[in-house]
Amino acid sequence: MEEAAQEVFLKAFTQLGSYEGRGSMEGWLTRIATNTCLNMIRSAKRRPELTVSDLTEDENKWLDDQLSDVASEPQHSVEQTLIAADLADRVLAVLPPEDQMALLMIDGEDASVKEVAEATGWSESKVKVRAFRARKKLRETMEKLLSHKGKIGRPVSNEG
Amino acid sequence: MKDEHIIDILDDTVFSGLSIEQLDIIRSHSRECSDCMSAYQAAKLSSVILAERVQTVVEPTPFFQTRVMAALREQQSVESVPAWLRLWKSAGALVSSMAVATVALAVLSFAVPANSPEPLATAATAESVIFDQGNEELSYEQVLSTIYADEDEGK
Repeated sequence: MEEAAQEVFLKAFTQLGSYEGRGSMEGWLTRIATNTCLNMIRSAKRRPELTVSDLTEDENKWLDDQLSDVASEPQHSVEQTLIAADLADRVLAVLPPEDQMALLMIDGEDASVKEVAEATGWSESKVKVRAFRARKKLRETMEKLLSHKGKIGRPVSNEG
Repeated sequence: MKDEHIIDILDDTVFSGLSIEQLDIIRSHSRECSDCMSAYQAAKLSSVILAERVQTVVEPTPFFQTRVMAALREQQSVESVPAWLRLWKSAGALVSSMAVATVALAVLSFAVPANSPEPLATAATAESVIFDQGNEELSYEQVLSTIYADEDEGK
């Protein structure tokens, strides 16, 4: 992450001459940061799939704790947050880089579709499609993980 | 609505942005549908891990600023050198070896043939040799008799 931050500072400094002052400085910087992060995610190896056997003991325990008390508020100890963040990275690595970016910005950071479109240079419809696809894929991946653990879905009736 | 699966609602909307009505519909349907219950739990957990992911605050290491400034200075020093000099530094050895090879080939092509006219002499015809010799040693009749003598022997 620090590597990405350094890259953003360097790019911002070297490209400062190209900033024409038409948009806000914050928007210009956000765009540089977004593109830099996207390139770094692209260069990282994408996982084809995540299975229960790929999870660490801590991640397994974290999932068990969450499922045993799914209605309650999540715990926010630093350790628990780090475990969840690591798990998020591993699950997100299944998605294409652009989908990861859209999902993290919209579902994680509560950015609007318009804000993501401005930061990435994509159209709003493209952002929506990417977010929808990423959300669905993430849910399916989590569902598969949880079903392998045998701790999901308490059927009352099979008809919906 | 109870009879309709709620998976589309989960995929369409940010989980934390679901309205109370939507949540009521999802919960009441999920109680009777195991597939949608699984989807609901997975969507909720996905939302939790994403929220935890963005909450993670990464503090820069102690010398982060120094490293960034050093990288900037390095980049500036590289940019201040003219492009041709940078190219020369990176590919100087290759370019100079190519230049040496070109000069050597030029020397071999133009200088060496000028010093060795012998091949021209070897290309001379047999007739010219005979006539040259004739100028020095043989008369025309002697040459004719030599040629016809050879033909007679051949027959």
